[in-house]
Amino acid sequence: MKLKRRNFLGIIAATSLTGCARLATSLNDNQGFHNFLLTPERLNLAILGAGQPLAQEYTIDDVSADFRANGFDPPGSDQYARWSKSGWRGYELRVDGLVDRPQSYDLVALRQKFAMRSQITRHDCVEGWSVIGKWSGVRLSDLLANGGVKPLAQYVVFHCMDTDMMGTYYYESLSVSQAAHPQALLAYELNDKPIPIKNGAPLRLKVPTQLGYKSAKYVQRIELVASLGGSLGSGGYWEDQGYEWYAGI
Amino acid sequence: MKTSKTWVYRHPLAVRVTHWVSALALIVLAMSGMQIFNAHPALYASDASHFDHPALSIRSELAPDASEIGYVQIGSWRVNTTGVLGFGPDGAGGMTERAFPSWATIPTYQDLADGRRWHIFFAWIFVLCAAVYARFALNLVPTRADLRALPSTLREHLVPWRVAASAHLNSLQKLSYFGIVFVVAPIVILSGLALSPAVDAHAHWLPQMFGGRQFARLWHFAGMIVLMLFFVVHILMVVLTGLVNNLRSMISGWLEVPGAQAP
Repeated sequence: MKLKRRNFLGIIAATSLTGCARLATSLNDNQGFHNFLLTPERLNLAILGAGQPLAQEYTIDDVSADFRANGFDPPGSDQYARWSKSGWRGYELRVDGLVDRPQSYDLVALRQKFAMRSQITRHDCVEGWSVIGKWSGVRLSDLLANGGVKPLAQYVVFHCMDTDMMGTYYYESLSVSQAAHPQALLAYELNDKPIPIKNGAPLRLKVPTQLGYKSAKYVQRIELVASLGGSLGSGGYWEDQGYEWYAGI
Repeated sequence: MKTSKTWVYRHPLAVRVTHWVSALALIVLAMSGMQIFNAHPALYASDASHFDHPALSIRSELAPDASEIGYVQIGSWRVNTTGVLGFGPDGAGGMTERAFPSWATIPTYQDLADGRRWHIFFAWIFVLCAAVYARFALNLVPTRADLRALPSTLREHLVPWRVAASAHLNSLQKLSYFGIVFVVAPIVILSGLALSPAVDAHAHWLPQMFGGRQFARLWHFAGMIVLMLFFVVHILMVVLTGLVNNLRSMISGWLEVPGAQAP
């Protein structure tokens, strides 16, 4: 008898939860309400995007044994395979769009032209987990200053070599001020070694003040643009799937 | 002997509004939070994730007879929860590996992006409620007299349906509401903020206060469990000590109490 009463209470709880979940899901499937739910994003950006506070830096003892990789499989193209097998000979990063002087750099040029910056920072995946790694490479602001950014430019778009299963390329974007953050890094080393393929070789973006999906892997081209939208969608692959463009939370 | 009854204005409008709005917000936050948890159903008592040693995980595995077993594991202790936690309904008529079942998450289907939208939207609503409510919260600070009255109030509540409505919060109500408002809610709000990499850049001390970011996620989860337990007990007491009178007082503000003389 007692067990029956407990079951009865459990059924009431589950039924009311089911009701809540169903009601919320039908609201979720309403396009207007779905967009309305995204209204706090601007508020979050206005509050948390103020200033350029530095993400906490760790010591070498804090570095995770394995830097977990997430996202798509590494690029499947023959060209990528050739590059990765020949020490990235022939690979070039292109910086163009609203710049004074479009530039191309191979990995040697990136190491010679720009001071190497290192940071031991935490990588927070949108799924909820965190790993700590030491990233070394070129400060994004140094790289952009070398080609000169036109005043009209508002966003920095990162075009990547990896694709989802449908063949859609990964891409990401930062505002010009986010790209000027001292810890925004175009990294070529992870834990003092060339970046492993699974973690985005040969070059990946590292933005430790936002969630991991902003830190685009397999970067091939950086484009300065006046606005997002059009072929640039919501400013990133995951943004096009409904995730926030401002990934500070 | 007929006991006289009188009406007292128990809850001001701001308290009633913030009560119901934050109740709604907390339910949505818990259900969308479970959706978010499902994206990585493990918690760690450290700053970064030590994937091989979660403090708590809700997963599934294949049994020797090829059936799927859902389980909750805390440290090395494991309990079989097949059908509800770890392995349960997917919302489309089937069963799948899923920490929290489809009937408990917003939305019902697996969608981290949408779970985050709901969670962050209602987190703002909850925090705004907390800001409006803050000055009324001072009424919950227990006095010396409340602490003295606690043993007798506890005894009284062994038979909850005999507890008479009173013009003021009794010591048990004060202490439990005080614990929720001054201890559990701040932990849940602050540990939630500590999950944001941007907040952490502004305040390095915040995740550190909880033992690191992943530990903050563990605190956030534990706080949610305490809040849900409080919900169950709270609703049970509302029902047992006079459902209509209690509900009416939180809607209109007026509570009917026995014997009391209004001055």
